[in-house]
Amino acid sequence: MKKMTLIAALLGMTSIAGTAQADKLDDIISSGTLRCAVVLDFPPMGMRDESNVPIGFDVDYCNDLAAALGVEAEIVETPFPERIPALMSGRVDVGVASTSDTLERAKTVGFSVPYFAFEMAVTANNATGISSYEGMKGFTVGAVAGTYEAIALEAQVKEWGEGEFRPYQTQADVFLALSQGQLDATVSTSTVAQANVQSGNFGDISVVGFAPFDTDYVALFAKRDEYGFLNYLDLFVNQQVRTGRYDELYEKWVGGEVPQLMVPNVYR
Amino acid sequence: MFDTALSANDLVFLAKGAGITILVTAISVVIGTLLGILFGVIRVQLGPVLAAPLTFFLDIFRSVPLLIQLVLGNAFVGMVLQLQISGFTVACIVLSLYTSAYCAEIVRGGIDAVPEITRRAARSLGLTWGQDMRYIVLPLATRVALPSWIGLALGVMKDSALVYVVQVTELLKSTQILITRLQEPLFLLLICGAFYFIISFPLARFGGYLEKRWSND
Repeated sequence: MKKMTLIAALLGMTSIAGTAQADKLDDIISSGTLRCAVVLDFPPMGMRDESNVPIGFDVDYCNDLAAALGVEAEIVETPFPERIPALMSGRVDVGVASTSDTLERAKTVGFSVPYFAFEMAVTANNATGISSYEGMKGFTVGAVAGTYEAIALEAQVKEWGEGEFRPYQTQADVFLALSQGQLDATVSTSTVAQANVQSGNFGDISVVGFAPFDTDYVALFAKRDEYGFLNYLDLFVNQQVRTGRYDELYEKWVGGEVPQLMVPNVYR
Repeated sequence: MFDTALSANDLVFLAKGAGITILVTAISVVIGTLLGILFGVIRVQLGPVLAAPLTFFLDIFRSVPLLIQLVLGNAFVGMVLQLQISGFTVACIVLSLYTSAYCAEIVRGGIDAVPEITRRAARSLGLTWGQDMRYIVLPLATRVALPSWIGLALGVMKDSALVYVVQVTELLKSTQILITRLQEPLFLLLICGAFYFIISFPLARFGGYLEKRWSND
């Protein structure tokens, strides 16, 4: 009798294993829709146009992914804190939401290789003639107080031993000071820098180069046990770069020098 | 203040959000009221001891904040039941149960307000339980319960603003989307408030009208 129970249990288990074979990748293709979590208050990665239709780098990236899978894309707006809960509750299939690939998050979700990198860019008032990060030596520089880039920049100014560092309350204050000549240059994330330069609200300023600070790599994410799908995402990111689509999207939404997605001297 | 970037297009967008608010509210109030009548009658018929499990179940919906109910309900449907249903459906289910829990209390209060003697007299005259409920309890209890029910319906309409957490773009969420884009929070919230008022005012007036009419006879 015990043997019979054991056999029945084994049979039961194999049948469960049998039904669990269709994975997320199959499910998405058969359902015909790819649901992407996208943050829509984070221009130029995600925002809305005049008719309140989602646009931005992440939106285009989701559309490309859906096209590659041969399905329709559905943009699900998720605020920053809702990105991972939306995935865990099955409301979305994948996150295309400028999510930093931290080890803490990787305990919950699975990350692809980085698909975008937020680099720190140097923006200078054209009148100063600053043309690189090193060129800021001896000038008055500033950034948003307390941010990562402000702390690093202040340390750098001290190390140089000349010039001055000024902290500001908001990003808008920094660019205003830059346009008025109170500041000669600033360091901020490249997307913010490009957006402000392109807005034309801050006069004769331009992005002159990258600052050698840590890069914020962001990746696509999906359920961590969906290896088939995560593998597909890795290859998709690779293909986007290989085909030049990444450069194209970067030029369309951000502009300027395209950041490297590879970390030097290490695999993946 | 009147120098705004708000376009006619955006007003249509807000109106669509208002439409979703009305739809979610209508579905939840109708289903919630039907369930509430059922639960309320069951609670009165069974008495406090036998109905304790139902009372406990309904108390959960009355005491846990709606926002948490929505988030947990959404997670339950997606992670435990593994169902692929829309956020809109989840919102309607949770909001219906939430409404039913409050409505059951209102119904119970209404039935209790009918004098025991009146009901005994009805049964003594040979009316069945069903006839007693329909011809004696229903008209009397409805009069007592109506003001609370109108209050509940209006409350649910405003509480429906919370369904944005399950990715339903209703009136408040639409407003927030416009605020993100246009950066005119006060002006847009003013318009949003006006929309809520336009939706709830007729319901409140209709309730007042019914109350007045029924109190005369």
